[in-house]
Amino acid sequence: MTAYWNRLSVGSRAFLIVVPALLVVGAILTVGIALLLPPVLGFLGANLPLARFAAAATAIIVVTIPTAFVIIYMELKVIAAMNLRVGPDRVGPYGTLMSVVHGLKVLAKEDFTPRGVDVPIFTLAPVVVFASIPLTMLVIPFAPGIFGQDFNIALLYFFAISGLSVVGLMMAGWASFNKYSLLGALRAAAQAISYELPLTLSVVGIIILAGTMSLNSIVQLQAGSFLDWNIWKQPLGFVIFFIAATAEANRTPLDMTEADQELVAGFATEYSGMRFGFFFFAEYVNVFVVSALSAVLFFGGWNAPFDWPFPVTLNLDPGGMGLGLIFLIALAPVVGTIILGLPFWLLSSRVSTLRALVIGFVLFNLLIVGAFMGWAFISAAWVSGLVWMVLKTFVFVFIFVQMRGTLPRVRVDQLMSFAWKWLLPAALLNIFVTAIAVSILANR
Amino acid sequence: MEGIWYVVGFACAGISFVFLVIGLSWLISHRTRGSRGKGLPYESGIDTYGDTHGRFGVSYYLYALLFVAFDIEVIFIFLWALVIRDPIPGVLSSMFLFVGILLLGLAYAWRKGVLTWR
Repeated sequence: MTAYWNRLSVGSRAFLIVVPALLVVGAILTVGIALLLPPVLGFLGANLPLARFAAAATAIIVVTIPTAFVIIYMELKVIAAMNLRVGPDRVGPYGTLMSVVHGLKVLAKEDFTPRGVDVPIFTLAPVVVFASIPLTMLVIPFAPGIFGQDFNIALLYFFAISGLSVVGLMMAGWASFNKYSLLGALRAAAQAISYELPLTLSVVGIIILAGTMSLNSIVQLQAGSFLDWNIWKQPLGFVIFFIAATAEANRTPLDMTEADQELVAGFATEYSGMRFGFFFFAEYVNVFVVSALSAVLFFGGWNAPFDWPFPVTLNLDPGGMGLGLIFLIALAPVVGTIILGLPFWLLSSRVSTLRALVIGFVLFNLLIVGAFMGWAFISAAWVSGLVWMVLKTFVFVFIFVQMRGTLPRVRVDQLMSFAWKWLLPAALLNIFVTAIAVSILANR
Repeated sequence: MEGIWYVVGFACAGISFVFLVIGLSWLISHRTRGSRGKGLPYESGIDTYGDTHGRFGVSYYLYALLFVAFDIEVIFIFLWALVIRDPIPGVLSSMFLFVGILLLGLAYAWRKGVLTWR
């Protein structure tokens, strides 16, 4: 038995281990789902609010993972392009799986606790930093009907919760028993509280215009074309908001908390493994959250930037075709694959029949998925809303990434005096100009 | 009231997600005790000296004090922004007065050099 095992290659050993394990796990999962699913579904069906909560919590927490991976990949690739480098191109098509591999690597690394560390607080710090993320995403409206909860104080709630992550950074720095960590955490706290004021004051203009703090209502009030967006009424507010948001998300050029030339790695110096990973996971998702908030407040959220010049309506009635529908479903893949693969087979003698069929099959699938997405985009308001919202959000994410590749880091004294001497008076000026304008218009 | 349960539930969900992933990482990563040097705080190769939780610059406290004053102002401004369209006598001037007094405080701090980082 041992001799036989030793003669196998690594791949076949892995095969012999993985396949039986998968079979066993699959059997257990099948039995478990068959036994547990009906009572769980029945329970959730009887308690619809609970089902909505479970769906919302799962969706928001699961969405953070691909978001962070996409932003990390963007950062690698965009900054590489700005430095005239190629960037990651080995793992996956165009290196797209690089950030996933980074994530798995951090997951498998040793999570070391140095001596002299206050262990409970040291462990709780990344938890506090990350837990504020789903709480802030709770109030962001992604599309009509796609939001966690619509509070009437959503904006105030957002700023209150996003301030929590500073507590986590402070816990990390204090518990690390390292002078660099402590200095990084103190700077994080000083920077966050200084930029918290311009950040919160810059959106007061929007509250005055909208008359409400509910983010859903703020988006609905910006409906129409792109001329109705708040950016045209609050340009100064947006500039202040964006600078302050850069500081709140600890992004370059305002990332004094982890200035590696001065402070090793700031608050994260003593961290390793997954507890380290969560700080940066949280930072990248934070970039997404801040970008989504700027899209919601200033750029119309889920509203399309323009109406379609001609109305598009699709009246599909699949049931009307009767038996023809069954033939269509049965024949369309075969015919489509052959038709799409035929040109490749005819035009190039290097493409074998099998390869042409594979190409045709892939093209057909892309076509069908594209057609289905287009149909959903036209006929479902929440799909088009989600598409616009994600597009706008990723424009801001791109700007954050580009800023990191463009601007040098500022000094800590410049950072602090800029917040107090320029941004705070400018934000107050913005508020009072807006207030006077609104009251003059209201009394006329 | 439903919203409060969402907040509590999302907090629990986020915290349990972090602990789940850290637990998974604890299961699959290797662990070594290492030597004495491995457990020392990393301060660029020099052994740590003196008390870490010692004294640090006074500027941090001054900024924190200023922040408390202005953050309470922010909460009042948020509420004021909601009622600015209502016909309340002196809705604009009272807030101008309030913020003006606070700005006097900011000007005093500026004059005293508190806003300059040292």
